[in-house]
Amino acid sequence: MDSSALNTFQQAQHPVLVASDCDDRARQEFVKSFKTHIQQSILPAVSGVYFQRAVPAYANDHGKAPEDHREARQSFADDPLFQAYLCLNRSSQELQWFSVIDAIEADTQGLASRANDIAPAGGSLTLDANFEIPNYVSSLDIHCMPGGYCGPADAAKLHTGALYDRGVYLYSMGYMGPNNDDMGRSVCNYVKRNLPDLRPKRILDLGCTVGHSTLPYAELFPDAEVHAIDVSEACLTYAHHRAEGMGMPVHFAQMNAEQTSFESGSFDLIVSHILLHETSTKALPRIFKECHRLLAPGGAVIHADLPPFGDMDAYTQLILDNETWYNNEPFWSAMRTKDQIQLSADAGFDKATTHFDTAPMAIMEFAAASADESYTEEMATELTDREFTAGEYAPGGGWEVLIARK
Amino acid sequence: MNSNKIIKGKRPDFYSAPGVDYLMHMVTVLAQEHSAMRDRLDTLESVATEKGAFSPDDIEAYTPTQADLERREARRQKFLDNLFSVIAQEAAEVRNADTKQRFEQVITDLATQT
Repeated sequence: MDSSALNTFQQAQHPVLVASDCDDRARQEFVKSFKTHIQQSILPAVSGVYFQRAVPAYANDHGKAPEDHREARQSFADDPLFQAYLCLNRSSQELQWFSVIDAIEADTQGLASRANDIAPAGGSLTLDANFEIPNYVSSLDIHCMPGGYCGPADAAKLHTGALYDRGVYLYSMGYMGPNNDDMGRSVCNYVKRNLPDLRPKRILDLGCTVGHSTLPYAELFPDAEVHAIDVSEACLTYAHHRAEGMGMPVHFAQMNAEQTSFESGSFDLIVSHILLHETSTKALPRIFKECHRLLAPGGAVIHADLPPFGDMDAYTQLILDNETWYNNEPFWSAMRTKDQIQLSADAGFDKATTHFDTAPMAIMEFAAASADESYTEEMATELTDREFTAGEYAPGGGWEVLIARK
Repeated sequence: MNSNKIIKGKRPDFYSAPGVDYLMHMVTVLAQEHSAMRDRLDTLESVATEKGAFSPDDIEAYTPTQADLERREARRQKFLDNLFSVIAQEAAEVRNADTKQRFEQVITDLATQT
């Protein structure tokens, strides 16, 4: 990838976006630059060393090159450059969250006050006082976000969502678009272009977190009723304020995607965005079955996540597998070994038509239409035209989607 | 440490030599602060230019006075002393024969001498 264009993508303002002072903004910008540097300069150097130093040494001892991520890790674990890469990458992740936490703690009153002033947009928030948080969410702070999805108990319940919303922007280095909604927007575009018969009237987004991927459905399918569920009261509370503040009517509810309280056959489009890899071997088939139950005949389910290991080379697997061990993503690699087509079939979907595809990143459309001068077409083209490279954000300029029809 | 910054899940070991993980993270934080400081200076110059006070060109064109030069040199030397204080410490230990054996002997003596 030509890295000549400098990434200056900026997040769009909305009422509950955390306000950061000059220095916190600069610290956050540093994290974004640091992550870009790790991906574009340090990782390629590490990759070169793997193929020139680790693979020949492994082949010398074992009579073959490493064939999967386990063998690749065995060959590379003691290499000082690989250790430096892992260590710096972890610190970049920690600094990302810490730089936002400082800003949130300085803006606690402001966040609550701005949330309070939001005019209703027609959405709703339904919480469940007896809700049980699944262990795959509560056991570790996923992607090292301090406090996890259920977060500290701040009075306004805005801390966790504010942290995630800003953190996603920094993590994605702005490639998720000014509203962090590139995944949702890309899937919407995919539906319009590839499933033209589907004119959804009722849409459900599973594991919506702060609703950043949900809002494009309300925008691009204005006649549809849009629902979104998550397990976290804190994330949902923030998501509700965020959506209302952006004028998008979405109905948020605290439910587990394994078993919801919606009626059977009540949705014609069900989606999820980077949800599946944050669940478990036990939950995954249950979610697929619940999707089948909730879908109306003729409806579609689309899960946007990351590709299975499949035929991926050992080194690419290794770099992806690092998320499991170094970024608190416990199901990340296990999920990639699951036969999702078979799981879909087991849940009642037609095996022959269930398939993986790539939904091109919608950031191109942003660049073409956006008044925000930080999103230039040149940068967007560069992002969406590239080949898949392990460790980069949004593999190959598109999102992997699993599509099943009922 | 702010408890809101604690991450649930054991932090991995990256280097086998103890302390290197701490050091790497500290250097990263310092780099972040250095970068934030440069951004603030950049903001300062932009605001000064916008308000008509002075421009980055004025900074480039400024010739330090003798007092500036002396103040800067003193500050730089103090900074370098701090940066390399471990080296100065070790040099002093060699000079004063202040060894690990002597250190341990003091502890033993103070505990056992009656």
